[in-house]
Amino acid sequence: MSKKKPLFEFKDIHVEVEGKEVVKGVSLTIMPGETHAIMGPNGSGKSSLSNALMGHPSYEIVKGEAYLDGQNIIEMASDERSRAGLFLAFQYPLAVPGVSVANFLRSALQSHRGKDADMSDYRKLLKSEMAALSVDPAFATRYLNEGFSGGEKKRVEILQMSVLNPKVALLDETDSGLDIDALKTVAEGINRYHNADNGILLVTHYQRLLNYVKPDIVHVMMNGKFVKSGGPELALKLEEKGYEWVENENNNRVGV
Amino acid sequence: MNTKATMIQNSEYTISDISPELMRGPQWLRDLRNKAREDFNQAPLPRRGLHLWRYTDPGKFMYELNDASDTTYGDNYDVVEKIERHHVDEGTLAGLVTDLGGREIKRYGTEALAEKGVIIMPLSEAIEKQHDLVEKYLYQAISSQTGKFEAMNGALWNDGIFVYVPNGQVIEQPLHLLREAGMENSATFPRLLVVVGKNAGLTLVDEYGGGSMDEDKGISFVNGAVEIFGLAESKVRYVSLQRQTSATNSYLTHRAQIEQGASMLTIPLVFGGSLCKQNFGVRLNGAGAHSDIYGLLFGSMRQHFDNHTLHHHAHGSTSSNIDFKVVLKDRAQSAYTGLIRIENGARNCEAYQENRNLLLNPGTKAQTIPELEILNEDVSCSHGATLGSIDQESLFYLQARGIAKNEAVRMIVSGFVTTTLNRVPVDLRERIETFVAQRLEGI
Repeated sequence: MSKKKPLFEFKDIHVEVEGKEVVKGVSLTIMPGETHAIMGPNGSGKSSLSNALMGHPSYEIVKGEAYLDGQNIIEMASDERSRAGLFLAFQYPLAVPGVSVANFLRSALQSHRGKDADMSDYRKLLKSEMAALSVDPAFATRYLNEGFSGGEKKRVEILQMSVLNPKVALLDETDSGLDIDALKTVAEGINRYHNADNGILLVTHYQRLLNYVKPDIVHVMMNGKFVKSGGPELALKLEEKGYEWVENENNNRVGV
Repeated sequence: MNTKATMIQNSEYTISDISPELMRGPQWLRDLRNKAREDFNQAPLPRRGLHLWRYTDPGKFMYELNDASDTTYGDNYDVVEKIERHHVDEGTLAGLVTDLGGREIKRYGTEALAEKGVIIMPLSEAIEKQHDLVEKYLYQAISSQTGKFEAMNGALWNDGIFVYVPNGQVIEQPLHLLREAGMENSATFPRLLVVVGKNAGLTLVDEYGGGSMDEDKGISFVNGAVEIFGLAESKVRYVSLQRQTSATNSYLTHRAQIEQGASMLTIPLVFGGSLCKQNFGVRLNGAGAHSDIYGLLFGSMRQHFDNHTLHHHAHGSTSSNIDFKVVLKDRAQSAYTGLIRIENGARNCEAYQENRNLLLNPGTKAQTIPELEILNEDVSCSHGATLGSIDQESLFYLQARGIAKNEAVRMIVSGFVTTTLNRVPVDLRERIETFVAQRLEGI
């Protein structure tokens, strides 16, 4: 059996926002079929990392490398990264007035498939994905995220992920602002998308989403760095003991 | 040698001196033309500081007029006319009226309307055949006292279009008016008079095209006046489509008066010309009258636009709504001033006004000034205005879904105008979307 190649890997990533370093050298490798979680307190740099990986112009990667399926993505614009197979579910999805969910997703999918590609299956695809995520069919004609509740926005982010079917999905605080039913629906959507060929990177403050989406590896991020990595039990321990525990543990280790 | 230009500017010359043919018609009309000539002479050039003239030099409309008989028209006109004739033939338009230079008015495919009692004819012909009707309404919404340039049109219009819809007659499909300006060094004074009877309905697409394409050869000047009267319970929909060429200066005044229970929808589509100053006003004269103005303006290159809207609530229990959207790129400029006037005693009125401006690059310039004159307290009124560039976060969101930057910009612009387009009744929307799409191709 030949050795599997990494699906997504980044090495020694440093990110600056307005000249200030917010991510200070992080590395990670996701193999096909894996789910990783980055957990950390507010301000630890985890959202900055996901924005930078997606190519947000305000989050500059000043050092480091990132490869998606062997392809260097650092020099790519965010639309190229998307077409290469990277997806970011936004923490705060923006409203786009006048652009309906259906038209937006059609344009997005068309750009993934190519300008002249056949789109005759699109309506059916959208309809079935919406049904699977319990999104009201009326949302297809509504303007994207305009007047949506927090839960509706997150569900529509997952809808976009299902339709675009990326190689790697970065999910930035997708669980925030969801009640338990919405959380379950969203988690089901993520699990339905997940297969042996793609990868997921969950970025979250709390571990509750991890009850439904099981990570293979959990990374704890504090002050711009990964300070600890471990199996799913790490998330439970964090839930129990809080982030201070990691902080103290690290300090103790330094003090030994 | 006296050119006509110097004759218009020189108050010693009468209309007969300028063009004897303008003095045909009945005495009342000759009197009104002479009065307009006099008012034009008397009125000083508006001062730049005055609110309607803060953004545009009035001197640009004191055009040096060459002999109108030399006027030529652009090659594109035949193509446009052919397209609209085709629309009439396939039954999507109620009829077509062509107006070359405010001088040559022709009808196409309007026979079915005539059978319903709808009168469509050159104003000169209507003055003979529908004398009482024309005398009752002409110059009533726009007089020579309205302003210096309205007086200029009032004195110098050669021929215009007259449309009358009898009581109870509803024309559902649009009647298209194609008004072609002359090419370089020409002046055109189009005029339109529309009367829509009680319980009657009319949809008009009033397209202004043509003009000069080369500033070095000379500009084209257009000074137009549109008067619309909607009688009780009538429904008027009026689309003003400005598609003039790049070296054309136009000054257009629209005034509508609507009576009890009547509704008026005005859709200014402001796309063309180099310098374009327009003034859209609706006076609500009776209880239950309602007016909507949904405007879309796209400016590029060095286009300069100056638009004014007026909702004049002269009667209580009337309502109005304005949504005017502006998109600018390159070095285009737009000024929008919107006045809501609610008369003393006009109680229980509602008036809303919104002007949003999207600036696609630095170097564009937009001004927006809402004005309220509310002379009693029992009203519900609001206005809003925004100026902004494309939000970088929105752009990132679209790009993060694989949509390339230029396509993402186009989508955001298209979304920006869609929220206004979706207010337009469905049967009219598709036609307007086509006009918008044609203009957006160049954005």
